[in-house]
Amino acid sequence: MNLEFSVKSKQTDIWWFTRLLQQGMVVFSLIALPGLVYAQEVNPLESDPRATRAGGALFRAQCATCHAPDAKGIQSIDAPDLTTLWALGDRTDASVFASIRSGVPGSIMPPHSFPDTEVWMLVSYLKSIGNASNTASIAGDAGHGAELFAANCITCHRVNGEGGSLGPELSVITAIRSRQALVSSIRNPSAILVNRYRPVSLLTRDNRRIHGTVKSEDAFSIQVMDSEQNLRAFMKADLQQLTHETRSLMPEFAIGILSDSDLDDLLGFLDSQRRNRAN
Amino acid sequence: MKFDYVFRRATASLILSVVVLNATLLHAQTNAGPSYDDILKGFDDPGRWLTYSGDYSGQRHSPLRQITPENAHQLRPVWTFQTGTTTRGRGFETTPLIDDGVLYVTGSNNYAWAIDARTGRTFWQYRRNLPDDLTYGASAPVNRGFGMLGNSLFMVTLDAHLLSFDRRSGSILWDVELADYHVGYAATLAPLVIDGKVIIGISGGEYATRGFIDAYDPETGDRIWRWNSIPGPGEPGSETWPDDPEILARGGGGTWMNGSYDPDLDLIYWGVGNPNPDYFGDLRPGDNLYSNSLVALEAETGRLRWHYQFTPHDLNDWDSNQMPVLADIEWAGEPRQVVMLANRNGFFYVLDRVTGELLLGKPFTATTWAREIGADGRPVVLNDGSNGCLPDPWGSTNFMPPSYYPELGLFFVTARETCATFVPEEPQFVPGQASFGGVVFIDNEKGSGALRALDVATGDLRWEFTYPSPTFGGVMTTASGLVFAGDHEGNFMAFNARTGENLWHYQTGSRIWGAAPMTHILDGRQYVLIPSGTTLTAFALGED
Repeated sequence: MNLEFSVKSKQTDIWWFTRLLQQGMVVFSLIALPGLVYAQEVNPLESDPRATRAGGALFRAQCATCHAPDAKGIQSIDAPDLTTLWALGDRTDASVFASIRSGVPGSIMPPHSFPDTEVWMLVSYLKSIGNASNTASIAGDAGHGAELFAANCITCHRVNGEGGSLGPELSVITAIRSRQALVSSIRNPSAILVNRYRPVSLLTRDNRRIHGTVKSEDAFSIQVMDSEQNLRAFMKADLQQLTHETRSLMPEFAIGILSDSDLDDLLGFLDSQRRNRAN
Repeated sequence: MKFDYVFRRATASLILSVVVLNATLLHAQTNAGPSYDDILKGFDDPGRWLTYSGDYSGQRHSPLRQITPENAHQLRPVWTFQTGTTTRGRGFETTPLIDDGVLYVTGSNNYAWAIDARTGRTFWQYRRNLPDDLTYGASAPVNRGFGMLGNSLFMVTLDAHLLSFDRRSGSILWDVELADYHVGYAATLAPLVIDGKVIIGISGGEYATRGFIDAYDPETGDRIWRWNSIPGPGEPGSETWPDDPEILARGGGGTWMNGSYDPDLDLIYWGVGNPNPDYFGDLRPGDNLYSNSLVALEAETGRLRWHYQFTPHDLNDWDSNQMPVLADIEWAGEPRQVVMLANRNGFFYVLDRVTGELLLGKPFTATTWAREIGADGRPVVLNDGSNGCLPDPWGSTNFMPPSYYPELGLFFVTARETCATFVPEEPQFVPGQASFGGVVFIDNEKGSGALRALDVATGDLRWEFTYPSPTFGGVMTTASGLVFAGDHEGNFMAFNARTGENLWHYQTGSRIWGAAPMTHILDGRQYVLIPSGTTLTAFALGED
């Protein structure tokens, strides 16, 4: 009897423990449910083209004020370019979902209480306009490209830790700019001047001429990187002249200097560097 | 024993009564806080700054003369207060109030503080427990300051409440809901305290909401009156809308920026924001009153006395929520009571503030929307926004306070030169979701800013000081001949009001956005304060 009782008692204990666990799991699930939705790795609307369209309408109504209608961001309010979200390979659909849902703490980006379906629609839309896989058309000889890069570009551009700083870093450039945009930038660098690399020409009171790129500027001072890659700052009152140039400091690589085939090789090198980094 | 007990009780009661009596007497000698008469006196006591603009006129022009064009270069920071709370994408927009050496300051995310004006040290801090599903309040979690009366402070919140605080402890005396934040309402302005009333306005015109201006009892928080900025069906003004109650109910018309007050006329002057949806006008043919208007309300009743609409049937989000500035000026050889307003649409206006008659309407920026106001008082519109180069939706100026210098007859305003293309799109109306009705492409290459001095008699530009980017910093003047202003690059600056010469600047480290300076004198020393980023900095002349 005692033994029986003892066994039964243990079974009862186990039964109760199991019940407790089940109930606990239910409670736990309820608490964790939002977390589980966050943790969902796959966009449930991924294969639905209507989601992308609806996400676009939502984006224009809810997000474009800060991120601009083309989703390329507005620098003056620190709202980032969303077309490059997936480009670097460190973001997933789930992490973009979480950023929309929870916001980015300490930044301009607030949390949003849209229904999950609408957040996934936004994820679908952003992915559809993202520059995630536009390097398929790049297929040059990376080896020859490396030689060209070392001969023509490395003084001013940095790739994976090597090179100069007068121009933008190019380690992942093939992920965030289309082939067409890269070709245009190399052939005609003055066509589009981007912030922090805008050319400037200064004449100091002691008649020194300085060329460089503008890093920052206010009504009283200007901060530049000069063509020798020194960071320098000037009070405007101390300058004889300050001219915002329209011609980039980067030379134009016309077809006579860099053939189409060379250009392909150069892009091939840059793309190989990006892929090495991604791996 | 029993007798002893009774005796003790009686003695204790007597002592208590004496203590209470003493406390009452003592209390009568302590600062009971500013009365309505004190606020009415405005700058008569420059040791105080008791309402958003310093006085009811909205001129933001202090009589203090210690800091002058000659010594402004000696201005130094005396202390910096760190708020510890950030504002997403906007600014630290408050104007501190001061009474008896204590600054009362509101911050982003409905923080608030009482601060020692000599050292920047705090007496108390308040933080509102805000819900995590804020609507408009989440995208612009700002606040522009306290209202004050006696021992009470008044602050509005991002979840659309009005709070009364005890100014000595920061504890809440009452808390009333203005509107339901879930559908898109929020509140950000500094309450305007007049005789027996706390006047507030509401944010949310980007949502399917309907704006209003309210008056509350300072003692109880009971609502005294409400004026709806979008008329109801059949009410005057409803003829400027489609005959559809639903459209009127979501007509927008936020009243989110402070107004000014003429105690003699007993009229409140207040700006009204955009109609909703902002950019898509096909659903709301007509002028859409009282959106984009200046309204004069009877303070006693909240009844509309007159209105002037700056931008009929607005398609560009040009809220008219700018500070209306009251002044008595000479107009065509006659003294005239006027109200002046530099508008988001790029025009500077002077109106008779008794009747609402338009006296002057002239561009103060390169606005391509219109270049003149017709004889009928309506703008001659040239560009609806689809061709680029209007002011952008943030406007030719915005809510950053301007300043008026009566002795010089100059109106100082932060001007924004911008360029944008508007692409309207029919929106869906979902409670709690913004319905802008389209998108705007802003050409960032073509932006710049300037501090401009306008002659109020003609609207002509007297001088300007240019900034590299479109700026959101406000302005203050002092009777010593100075203009103080902030810019988007973070500089806080002093200028010669007559010439525009820059006399001094200090890099605060963050853009000055929506805030304007205030000044006061304490222990014989004049201080000038400016909020920027997450800091409030007090400046004074350097001491040897």
